[in-house]
Amino acid sequence: MSFHILFLVSILAGFVGAMSGMGGGVILIPVLTFLGMDIKNAIAVSIVSVIATSSGSASAYVRDRITNLKVGMFLEMFTIVGALAGAAITLVSGRRFLFILFGVVLLSSWFALFRQRHEGWRPTICQDPFSHWLELHGSYYDQSIQETLSYHGTRAYLGGPLMFGAGMIAGLLGIGAGALKVLIHDLVMRLPPKVSTTTSNLIIGVTALAGTSVYLSAGMIDPGLAAPVILGVVFGATLGTRLLVRLTNQMVRRIFLGVLLILGVEMIIRGVAGV
Amino acid sequence: MAREQALANSEKAETHRHFDMEVLIGYILLVGVLLSVALLIIGLLWRWARTGNLRFHHALVGMNFFEFVLTSLRQMASHDLRPRVMVNMGIAVLMLTPFVRVLASVFYFALVERNWKYTLFTGFVLGVLSYSLFLR
Repeated sequence: MSFHILFLVSILAGFVGAMSGMGGGVILIPVLTFLGMDIKNAIAVSIVSVIATSSGSASAYVRDRITNLKVGMFLEMFTIVGALAGAAITLVSGRRFLFILFGVVLLSSWFALFRQRHEGWRPTICQDPFSHWLELHGSYYDQSIQETLSYHGTRAYLGGPLMFGAGMIAGLLGIGAGALKVLIHDLVMRLPPKVSTTTSNLIIGVTALAGTSVYLSAGMIDPGLAAPVILGVVFGATLGTRLLVRLTNQMVRRIFLGVLLILGVEMIIRGVAGV
Repeated sequence: MAREQALANSEKAETHRHFDMEVLIGYILLVGVLLSVALLIIGLLWRWARTGNLRFHHALVGMNFFEFVLTSLRQMASHDLRPRVMVNMGIAVLMLTPFVRVLASVFYFALVERNWKYTLFTGFVLGVLSYSLFLR
């Protein structure tokens, strides 16, 4: 695969990923495999780029004080262990399994995003003792309603173990698995939408690092491949974030949902057919 | 609503304290990513100027992060391999970015906030990440 194609595909993936808030991996990996790259190499190269996009966007969100650092640092304990396990599984598992799993994850992300459109956030009335002990609360200034929102995270005892699963998917498939993390933050821990997306961003960086080190030690990260992918994804994500402010959210969502659905079905078909 | 407000007020004293931590973490992440991107661009352009080709392959044999950094640095001695060393360093800096972020959090929780619970949590994360970087 030539440098230019790799670079362009990565820009596109970073761009669409940032616009949709899903990260570049879910687009990058299917496209790279369509272009003939082995799925395991695509996973390894993608997970390195995930560190870059997540750290880049997290740096802005953290300074804006929307990210809840304590929630992030508590949940990280689970995701990194999951990512190590997931990446180790990828090294030994068959390619068809990876294709099918990737398709299933894409379709469930599709479902999660689809569902999210109709859900509003309801604050927790009563925080359980464990989450209280973990100091999982905070407040942030919401620009869209010009108000400071305070909130309490809850059910950390359930959120933690579920995050192990999300981390495992991230390590297995070389993606940020942001949609899964956001889903856990939203539905289980009842964090406000902005806090859950930005906090999941922070967690994705360390989770991807854990996965990356497994792939590096297996000799699967080719710097010659990784360099254009990292640069392309970062460049595309920066463009996407800039444009995001100008385009309507509904439009972006609708396009992205369509893309996810097609890629998900495609990956499953390829896994089943054994291409 | 009144209840929410009361809770928010009671926590205000606590929340304004991690002011510094947020700035610290934000800048660690920003500097790490920018430095990494700069190294990658320098490496690729350097290689392009020298060979007229941007694409290169070099399969890494299985090695852990530290071996990766050390072998890369050793190649610095060879004139031909210097662009590649830049690219490798870009990847190494990228991998170190979240690691340094966690390291800084451990120190911040331990020394500034004196929050032992979270010192322990971030310490665990640091331990697992260090283990994974030594993985072979």
